[in-house]
Amino acid sequence: MRYAYVLKSMMKKNFLIVWRYPFNLIAGLFSILMVFLVIFYGAKFVGGNNPNFGSTLEGIVMGFMLWSFIIFAFSDLTWDFIQEAQQGTLEQLYMSPLGFGWISACYVLTFLLINLTITLGMFFLMMAITGKWLHLDLLSLLPLMLLTIWGVYGFGFAMGGLALVFKQVQAVFQVFQFIWLLFIVAAQPSVMESFPVVKFLPVILICHGNVWINWRQRLTGRANHSDI
Amino acid sequence: MENGQVLQVKNLTKIYRSRRQGEVKAVDNISFSVKKNEVVGLLGPNGAGKTTIKCICTILRPTSGEIWIDGADAIKNPRAALERVTAVLEGNRNIYWRLNVRDNLEFFAGLQGQSSRSVHSQIDELIEMFNLKEKVNAQARTLSRGMQQKLAVACALVRNTPILLLDEPTLGLDVETSYELRWILKRMADEGKRTIVLSSHDMNVVQDICERVIIINQGRVVVDDQIENLKKLFQASSYRFEIDGQMNGSLETQLQQKFDLVKISKNGQKTVIEAEMLEGIRVYEIIDVLKNNGCQLESVGRQYPNLEEIFLKIVKGEKK
Repeated sequence: MRYAYVLKSMMKKNFLIVWRYPFNLIAGLFSILMVFLVIFYGAKFVGGNNPNFGSTLEGIVMGFMLWSFIIFAFSDLTWDFIQEAQQGTLEQLYMSPLGFGWISACYVLTFLLINLTITLGMFFLMMAITGKWLHLDLLSLLPLMLLTIWGVYGFGFAMGGLALVFKQVQAVFQVFQFIWLLFIVAAQPSVMESFPVVKFLPVILICHGNVWINWRQRLTGRANHSDI
Repeated sequence: MENGQVLQVKNLTKIYRSRRQGEVKAVDNISFSVKKNEVVGLLGPNGAGKTTIKCICTILRPTSGEIWIDGADAIKNPRAALERVTAVLEGNRNIYWRLNVRDNLEFFAGLQGQSSRSVHSQIDELIEMFNLKEKVNAQARTLSRGMQQKLAVACALVRNTPILLLDEPTLGLDVETSYELRWILKRMADEGKRTIVLSSHDMNVVQDICERVIIINQGRVVVDDQIENLKKLFQASSYRFEIDGQMNGSLETQLQQKFDLVKISKNGQKTVIEAEMLEGIRVYEIIDVLKNNGCQLESVGRQYPNLEEIFLKIVKGEKK
């Protein structure tokens, strides 16, 4: 029961902090949306009326959603970790008798919930703006996202830990946003065929989720949207 | 635990290693123990107190040694130790600036695995005790530094551990808030509900709150005694001589060479000599020297040093 109280406290604390700074959240979402619109309409402009370009635009919507999900997961965790250290609360978290492992798990669970809500909200907003409504099988997508995101959180913890020891590490955080983008691009079938080693990169599972989706298709006998 | 001791530090050593400075021994084989409900001050000129406190609350892993907290081995079983001890480190940090007073208190109770319902009345008491009632719904970032520090101590208390470690609880506070916080801590100490270990450079805080003081200099414990005993000891060994007129340079040199720790200063037309002598007989030797050099002695008396002066004398004496 004590573990549940810790989880409840951590969730309440993190939600309150996000809720009490709505401007930060709105500004962040707005800038991401703007970047998306520039990419989407830029691609549409380049593609013109080519009938084969439609699937590429859908891919952009999907890829951008995944990228923002990964970016939120990575940067929220890393920056919050650093902020906790700066304000002296990381030491207080460490002093919980229920162990820092459980505290970290609570941290991740809370951010996962917040990030999923924000990302799915953004996804529907992106689809509404662009008019590209993708048929999503959440039962297929969510397990993939959950399975894969642990790697991103693990990486976030590692970077946060490094930033505590070496302050200069913070300077390279921005670079990682583009490295994650590279991983998403690497999940294209043509790239994976040419470089099979790419399969072992982080977040490839979420970007190339055919394994799970095909398995579900076989299990349910239903056709799903697997254009991920 | 031996003789009701709730905290035992045995042969604790902490070495920091850095490329620039090499090895720095912050704490060098120190041992001490604290009894239940005792209030102890940890004093040290170069962060040894802070390092010791961080080792006790398991944030720092010592290089060697043992720490036992109410029967729990803090090094091998830190989670058991953290059921019994908590700490407030560095003043007004340790709280969430975007949470309000009550949210902060509820969060820290929750961090200890307590439900907010079970600590509701205790939180009300703490808000009352720390005079935070008017600001209960205000975010911590909008509070004054003094209020933030009071909230940080309250957040540690709501965790309900029998041992409380405080590092610089009054650092950066104005005189009024510092007095208020000292009064609260003193009340807690007088009630005897908690064992408190306090590290501070503010000697008034230590003198007001603590019964016992442990002075760590150059990583080693140089004094571990009741504050009253230290005062008596230094009162018994500190003397002040007043001479009419100025003293010549050769006599000053003679006194400095012959008697250890002699401070000579001018006070208007008078010369004041302050000396520490563990043997009272040496007072007569100084009087003889002054008399033989034609000085007119106006008064001889004992000095009543405060803790700050005692601390400085110990630290300087230790260096010599």
